[in-house]
Amino acid sequence: MIRVRNLSKKFRQNVVLDDINLDINQGDVIAVIGPSGTGKSTLLRCIERLEVPESGTVEIEDRVIGLAPGKARRKDLSLLHRSCGMVFQNWNLFYKKTALENVMEGMVTVKKIPKAKAREIALSYLDKVGLSDRAGHYPRHLSGGQQQRVAIARAMAMEPGLLLFDEPTSALDPELVGEVLDTIRQAADAGYTMILVSHEMNFVRKVANRVIFLENGHIIEDGTPKEIFSNPKSERLRQFIMKIDRLQEPDYVI
Amino acid sequence: MSNFFQVKTVFENIPEIIKYLPITLELAVVSFLISLLVGLILALIKIKRIPVLLQATNVFISVIRGTPVLVQLYVAYFGIPMFLKYINLQYGTNWNVNGVPAILYAIVALSLNQAAYNAETLRAALQSVEKGQIEAATTLGMTPLQTLIRIVIPEAFTVALPSLSNSFIAMIKSTSLAFVCAVVDMTAAGKIIGGRTYRYFEVYVSLAIIYWIITIVIEQAEKLIERKIRVPEDVPVPKKQKEERIEEHVTGNKIRANRKEAGDPGSESVKEIQAERSFG
Ligand SMILES: Nc1ncnc2c1ncn2[C@@H]1O[C@H](COP(=O)(O)OP(=O)(O)OP(=O)(O)O)[C@@H](O)[C@H]1O
Ligand SMILES: [Mg+2]
Repeated sequence: MIRVRNLSKKFRQNVVLDDINLDINQGDVIAVIGPSGTGKSTLLRCIERLEVPESGTVEIEDRVIGLAPGKARRKDLSLLHRSCGMVFQNWNLFYKKTALENVMEGMVTVKKIPKAKAREIALSYLDKVGLSDRAGHYPRHLSGGQQQRVAIARAMAMEPGLLLFDEPTSALDPELVGEVLDTIRQAADAGYTMILVSHEMNFVRKVANRVIFLENGHIIEDGTPKEIFSNPKSERLRQFIMKIDRLQEPDYVI
Repeated sequence: MSNFFQVKTVFENIPEIIKYLPITLELAVVSFLISLLVGLILALIKIKRIPVLLQATNVFISVIRGTPVLVQLYVAYFGIPMFLKYINLQYGTNWNVNGVPAILYAIVALSLNQAAYNAETLRAALQSVEKGQIEAATTLGMTPLQTLIRIVIPEAFTVALPSLSNSFIAMIKSTSLAFVCAVVDMTAAGKIIGGRTYRYFEVYVSLAIIYWIITIVIEQAEKLIERKIRVPEDVPVPKKQKEERIEEHVTGNKIRANRKEAGDPGSESVKEIQAERSFG
């Protein structure tokens, strides 16, 4: 169980997260949905402390990790980063390292796994994302979808207690989205706990066991996909889902 | 006419001058390494915008860029001994001012001079590395120092290499001014030879040839390093696969040879062999 408590973040006067509380159970696959600019990315980045919030803690294994400035201890942050992996919208692979080296990097430098062993593990993860034949390729030799799958392998190989995905498919060409979603689905099936920000509502419906609707810095609703999509309680969520459904209708009108 | 310009003398000078090449190289290499380190520190101060140090760095860079390197060499040569004497007087220490080897003054001046220029090059190169990679390293749990050494510097170095190579060439040329600090480098040796033979012009032509060749060597070395460290244009072929390819080539020949021996050009047996291979 990972607990996020009292998380608040503002950019100057713009309050983006307002006292967010969230309990993440082991094995949860939580989808975060909400209008653009509502703070979904900021939520993930604060949990990972890539963004420094004004207040908030993350509780992992009975350790309370302060996120606010001055409250964060180096040792705690190290635990936080080991426990939470992240997959970015733009992959962010290490440019000068091959796919294999990208996956090995964290195991060797952070977990101090001997190189030969790390290599073996990295290859097995590349195999899991279907890229064992691309181990020696540099990012520039891979398609966007392949790069994102390497990035997912890199995050999974650290065996984090929580995996954060920030719109992992929205920078991809449409024909590459499927392969990445398949990979994420495999990770979910393998039992990884994860939070996923995504606009792929059909995918969210199938993979997530919890959906969170975030708006104006608050979690407005938190429930199963069925509750959220078929039986929204708040007017705001109903409108949001209607808008999304209209967008995702097939193009037969044209 | 032969007295006017002696080509032979030019080439006879070269071996004598070359004897002082180690001094020139020592001066250049040591100064350059120090300038890289100091330049990196200054670059990090600029990037992190550390108060007080940032202002000090800016003043330092402005002063260095605003003064000729020859003047800086004089300042080091006369200033450092004065400073040591002052310390001795003030604190009753007993530094031996005359014991300081001349080359140290030149190294101090040349390395600080180059550091000011390298700071800018390195800052630009470090900042050219995408922030996303640094964030990715952070989320893996890597410390800022690990990220700097393993992710940022390798990429930034590739970006900075051409400029750094130019800086190093400039450094080699600056060492020719080290005679003002009483260092006998190649140029100083040349001056001595000139003073002895009164063939100054020939000596300077000899020096020009030597410096030019050194520069060419450095340029070639830079190209070699660049080719080595950049991300290859094409997908690299692992050694094992390369061997396999050669082996395949060889077995291919063997199959053809066997076929000839057996006198059987039948396509079926070839297909069989191919099928066998693809299953094996
Ligand atoms: N570095 C920043 N500086 C200032 N404001 C920021 C910064 N990052 C985000 N914001 C603001 O915070 C708000 C939330 O941004 P965020 O990126 O978290 O939204 P989002 O829900 O992820 O949107 P999208 O669906 O478009 O990705 C936005 O109003 C944005 O303008
Ligand atoms: Mg976002």
